[in-house]
Amino acid sequence: MRSRGLSGFFAGALVACAVLWSFATVDVELSRLMSAGPRMAGFIGRMIPPDPTVMGEIAKGSAETLRIAILGTLGAILLSIPLGILASETMVPPAVHRPARLMLAFIRAVPLILVAMLMVGAVGLGPLPGMIAVAIHATGMLAKFYAEAIDGVSRAPIEALESVGAGPLARLRFAIWPQMAPVVARDTIFRFELNLRESLILGIVGAGGIGFYIQTYVRSFQYDKAASVTLAVIVMVIAIEAFNVALRRRFA
Amino acid sequence: MILAAAIDDVSYAHPGADLPSLERVSIQIAAGEAVAILGPSGAGKTTLLALLDGRLRGWLGRVSVLGTQLDPDQRPPREQCADTGFIFQEFALVERSTVFRNVLNGRLGRMPCLRAAFGSPSTRDCEIARTALADCGIADLADRRVDSLSGGQRQRVAIARCLAQEPKLILADEPVSNLDPVRAVDILTLLTKVARARGAAILFSSHQPDLAGRFADRIVGLRSGSILFSIPAAQLSEDRTTALYRQEVSVSGVSLRAVN
Repeated sequence: MRSRGLSGFFAGALVACAVLWSFATVDVELSRLMSAGPRMAGFIGRMIPPDPTVMGEIAKGSAETLRIAILGTLGAILLSIPLGILASETMVPPAVHRPARLMLAFIRAVPLILVAMLMVGAVGLGPLPGMIAVAIHATGMLAKFYAEAIDGVSRAPIEALESVGAGPLARLRFAIWPQMAPVVARDTIFRFELNLRESLILGIVGAGGIGFYIQTYVRSFQYDKAASVTLAVIVMVIAIEAFNVALRRRFA
Repeated sequence: MILAAAIDDVSYAHPGADLPSLERVSIQIAAGEAVAILGPSGAGKTTLLALLDGRLRGWLGRVSVLGTQLDPDQRPPREQCADTGFIFQEFALVERSTVFRNVLNGRLGRMPCLRAAFGSPSTRDCEIARTALADCGIADLADRRVDSLSGGQRQRVAIARCLAQEPKLILADEPVSNLDPVRAVDILTLLTKVARARGAAILFSSHQPDLAGRFADRIVGLRSGSILFSIPAAQLSEDRTTALYRQEVSVSGVSLRAVN
């Protein structure tokens, strides 16, 4: 009990130090936050009412974001099938699945926005780098999910079909796949939802989609237009989630 | 006459195990015969059945099934696998598939490889599967998913899948251990009846001497991987079963024999 009290004290002290250090070293002045009231009010005032004339840009940007998410997810699926097999504990020896899992962990560790910036540098502006970035970033998670789906399959029905005299392809089709399919579908839809959410901001680094307009309007002080785009993004996120909940219910 | 199965002086140890699961076992099963294997848990009943199913590697001795020698180093060819039907203790069905699909899976060893993988059964395959369902009394369950069935119904699906193979030898691993006494009798009645109707030999393991004696022609007693007796069912006596199931208890170095 004593040692637990002690470690609690140290944890508290560490958090306190971190907060104090952040205030002391960065240019964060509490006085500025206090006096920001009128400025904030003015800012919000300039957002209201949202400018409805940008519907065309919103539609164009949303469609591009949707395309980035769809093609990015497709790319991630294609990459995740071989990588998922290579990362599964039951299909390949440790010498293969350990490095494969490590590589996927590395990919997962890089934020999407960073991958997108690198891709913009590599292939130029537009939705193409966004799509490639989503495909790479999403593979880090999706391939791990696929590997877990493969490893979660029960051995007994596979053994039973072996006993029946079914070949390897027939076993894959009728014993392994029916067990994996719902998990794979659920995880892919989940990843698609994340891809769509995350790719909303890709335009900020020039990788295509609706984020481009948010950045343009904020930088040019057209806050009423930025407000319209922000509202559109909120509506899209809610719609995606509702769609996903409905889909997931089907695969339960 | 061709024997359904002949095991001659076979020993086998599971990989990594200290003690052998089967030790110098010899047994013959005549065509069309119904044989029950009795024995305590860990006696080697499942191992013996898996051996005949061609799923074990690295055993010593000679095994022939339906007149063909098994190779201890290689899986038997597909047609041979299909000739031996195996009913698993935990059913080993594909839970999310329908009853009909699961029974049709029993045909996979009889179809050409590509047809099997593409999942396009012939009309004959479908007919055989439907007959198997009807014989097991579950024709009305054909379109239900297996995960919605009870234990007794699953056991019938597992038997139907085995029948769809058109096996000449049926191996059943404790087919009634998960069922209540009434259903246990139903299932064994069904199993021995369909086997007889098809002229197939059947070998099943069990923990229940009374049921074994009632449904088998012959009883084989297996204990610690060795055969204790092989007798006509009528000769099964209380003394025999007691000897088969007695427990050896060892207390501080002194070996005692307690009757279970």
